[in-house]
Amino acid sequence: MSEERKLAIEVKDVSINYRILNSVSVRKSFLRKRVHEEVFEAVKHISFEIEEGGILGIIGQNGSGKSTLLRSIAGVFAPNAGEIDLHNHSVSLMALGVGFKDNLSGRENIILSGMLLGFSEKEILEKMDEIIEFSEIGDFIDRPVRTYSSGMHSKLAFSITAMLETDIMLVDEVLSVGDERFKKKSLAKMKSLINDKNRTVIIVSHSIPTLKELCDKVLWIHAGEIKEMGEPETVLKNYVEFMK
Amino acid sequence: MNHIKRFAIDTKKYLSYALRSAKADLKSEVANSYLDWLWWLIEPFCTMLIYTLIFGVVFNASEQYFPIFIFIGITMWGFFSRSISGSVNMVRMNRAIITKVYMPKYILLFSKMLVNGFKMLVSFGIVILMMIVFGVAPTVSIIWAVPIFLILFLFTFGVGTIMMHYGVYVSDLSYITGIVLNMLMYLTGTFYSVAKRIPAPFGELLEKCNPVAFLISSMRNALLYGQAPDLMLMLVWTVASLVLIILGTLTIYNNENAYVKVI
Repeated sequence: MSEERKLAIEVKDVSINYRILNSVSVRKSFLRKRVHEEVFEAVKHISFEIEEGGILGIIGQNGSGKSTLLRSIAGVFAPNAGEIDLHNHSVSLMALGVGFKDNLSGRENIILSGMLLGFSEKEILEKMDEIIEFSEIGDFIDRPVRTYSSGMHSKLAFSITAMLETDIMLVDEVLSVGDERFKKKSLAKMKSLINDKNRTVIIVSHSIPTLKELCDKVLWIHAGEIKEMGEPETVLKNYVEFMK
Repeated sequence: MNHIKRFAIDTKKYLSYALRSAKADLKSEVANSYLDWLWWLIEPFCTMLIYTLIFGVVFNASEQYFPIFIFIGITMWGFFSRSISGSVNMVRMNRAIITKVYMPKYILLFSKMLVNGFKMLVSFGIVILMMIVFGVAPTVSIIWAVPIFLILFLFTFGVGTIMMHYGVYVSDLSYITGIVLNMLMYLTGTFYSVAKRIPAPFGELLEKCNPVAFLISSMRNALLYGQAPDLMLMLVWTVASLVLIILGTLTIYNNENAYVKVI
């Protein structure tokens, strides 16, 4: 790489805590004055950066803090310590199970989700037909989302995030959704999105072949800390060794 | 100060979302019932009939224009009570959305209040209709309805933001809220005049200390009896509401990070 590229994501010394036992009932707080509080550090002092157009894969055991880190980058919650700088890029999080309002129709949900991703109503309406067509939902688009099957649910969610393109895309284990045909289609769409030179992508996955194919760097998180970061080949090899 | 600036920026940024979401909610409510938006009229109207019968006939209570008197009480109280009981579970109910994308959490409450507020205004169409039927002569005082609605909205929003915050952490708060709201309904004079029915000096005191009761009675005075509200009290409750809003949104800003992790 001869020309210097701009950074898209900077994660500096980020830690994220969960406080366990935080939801209390009135009875409990009467019985015990002090509610026992445990702090669980899900992510510990993680730092890394990604250049514009970079594709980072994150791998690690269940509960190692991958999704927590990803949600924090998406802005769902701020880290307890450290800093995440997205350099003014727009960001969207693609995850299993989606943020829909159950009583509203698919069409309304497309507009509302789009607005929360930072798009204007006009921009969304322009993409509306494309989204509906890609999602293959058909007439159901005007029915309440609660009547959807789980497949339709994830197809619609996928289509929204895939068509309303943001500068940074965070992918949490959704490399294939729906039936066989849709799986093929969505994977192809995903690949074209990921390989777009201007898009920065972070993929959290357990699938080693996928990460090997798509990513140009892999980060291995173990118990909230960086275990290794570098070339996909070497990191993934070490990870497989470790998991044996 | 920083937070106030942030509040202004956030509100501007998410206002269109709140409006759009409220509109969609209203539309979906209408789409799933046979009588559409007529329910927003029928429901308070029937409650009004029941109260008029029970309190007017059985308990022999009465005020001038009693049915309208009751109707104003029910719709305004309904707005407050629905918004507050909704605020307690607000964050939990929207977990699907807020675990995927950031938004200032008070926007959820704001949008819900737009829904309830719109329904209240539609119900007030009946008030106008009934005023014509009963031959109430309107006076200039009618314009006081606007600031009264505004203060009711501000006060409800202030209380709602605070309840919304505690609702996240205290899992059985909704039961307590239900009981307290039930008790408050009787103290607010939805179907009687607090100032007149409760012996002096408690009646008047109770009305002055309970903004919802004060606003309901001011609304009745303005619409039905041609009296202007107590301006000093209006001002006091406006300031109090603004303080509640500042406290509530500050609390939410300082804690909303943790909400997503708790629910």
